[in-house]
Amino acid sequence: MIVGKQKPFDEIWDMVKGFKKVLVYGCNTCVAICHAGGSKEAELLASMLRMRAKQEGLDLLIDSAGIERHCEPEFFEPLDEKVKTYDLILSTACGVGVNFLADRLAGAIPVYPGINTSFYGAVPEAGFFVELCGGCGNCILHLTGGICPIVRCSKSLMNGPCGGTDKGKCEVSSETDCAWFLIVERMKKLGTLEKLFEVQPPRDWSTATHGGPRRISLEHIRAYEAEEEKKATLTGEGK
Amino acid sequence: MFAARRIEYVKTLLKKVGIDPARLEMYNLSAAMGPRWAEMCDEFVDRIRNLGPSPIWLASRKQSEKGVTEQ
Ligand code: SF4
Ligand code: SF4
Repeated sequence: MIVGKQKPFDEIWDMVKGFKKVLVYGCNTCVAICHAGGSKEAELLASMLRMRAKQEGLDLLIDSAGIERHCEPEFFEPLDEKVKTYDLILSTACGVGVNFLADRLAGAIPVYPGINTSFYGAVPEAGFFVELCGGCGNCILHLTGGICPIVRCSKSLMNGPCGGTDKGKCEVSSETDCAWFLIVERMKKLGTLEKLFEVQPPRDWSTATHGGPRRISLEHIRAYEAEEEKKATLTGEGK
Repeated sequence: MFAARRIEYVKTLLKKVGIDPARLEMYNLSAAMGPRWAEMCDEFVDRIRNLGPSPIWLASRKQSEKGVTEQ
């Protein structure tokens, strides 16, 4: 899931204080799991902003709302009309959601980020989130025992540990496991250690963010959707 | 206890908006502890009296006074 953390309150306040009618807009998927931007957190943030506005003597109307997802158009639809009545949307969705809604509103209303989108991670225990994947677009976990060296090694080393590995800990922080130590131990257990001796070609980073915005197009689904739409138009049931 | 931790968390939020976290407190007691309940209420009322009116209340009053003078 995508993990985020609410921005410092003062930073958020600076963003919103110049507006008159603000909607704090939560997303109830990933960012709700990490207690940063779901409906509950949006409500709490709206309440804090109202308290601040009151104390500063500002006439600011601040509401909150939430929808299941900010990354698919149909989830926005029920609240589209309501959203248009505000002069700022403070989104507590991840950066994807902020971008997507800003595109949807096409400059009619600004959409500001209420959280800092931090990483793709898991929740090993309640209230604790760890980064496990960097979305590099060219996964090599089959070569590294299921442990990602790109984000779990502090230096993203691709060819084994650096000289600083220290009894299983990383030289950058003693609280961080050395990813390459974990990889070697895991591959020993899996009986696949010899895989590490295979020479790998230089990595192609164009699949990561270095190659411009990335897209994935599932042609069979898009073609089907286009056909369905065409049929609906012909039979007069167009949306 | 989860509720107690949440109260601690809400105290940090109140601080962020300029409200003294001492204005919020959680007490534990059973239904059979009437005298203790009265004691707690007195304690908390004293505390709030000492803290004085809340900044929100002061701001509301200031605003309504301003409204009256403007009229
Ligand atoms: S190798 Fe790439 S895709 Fe695979 S886990 Fe690491 S960052 Fe994610
Ligand atoms: S000590 Fe291990 S995890 Fe840390 S930078 Fe070196 S190889 Fe990477």
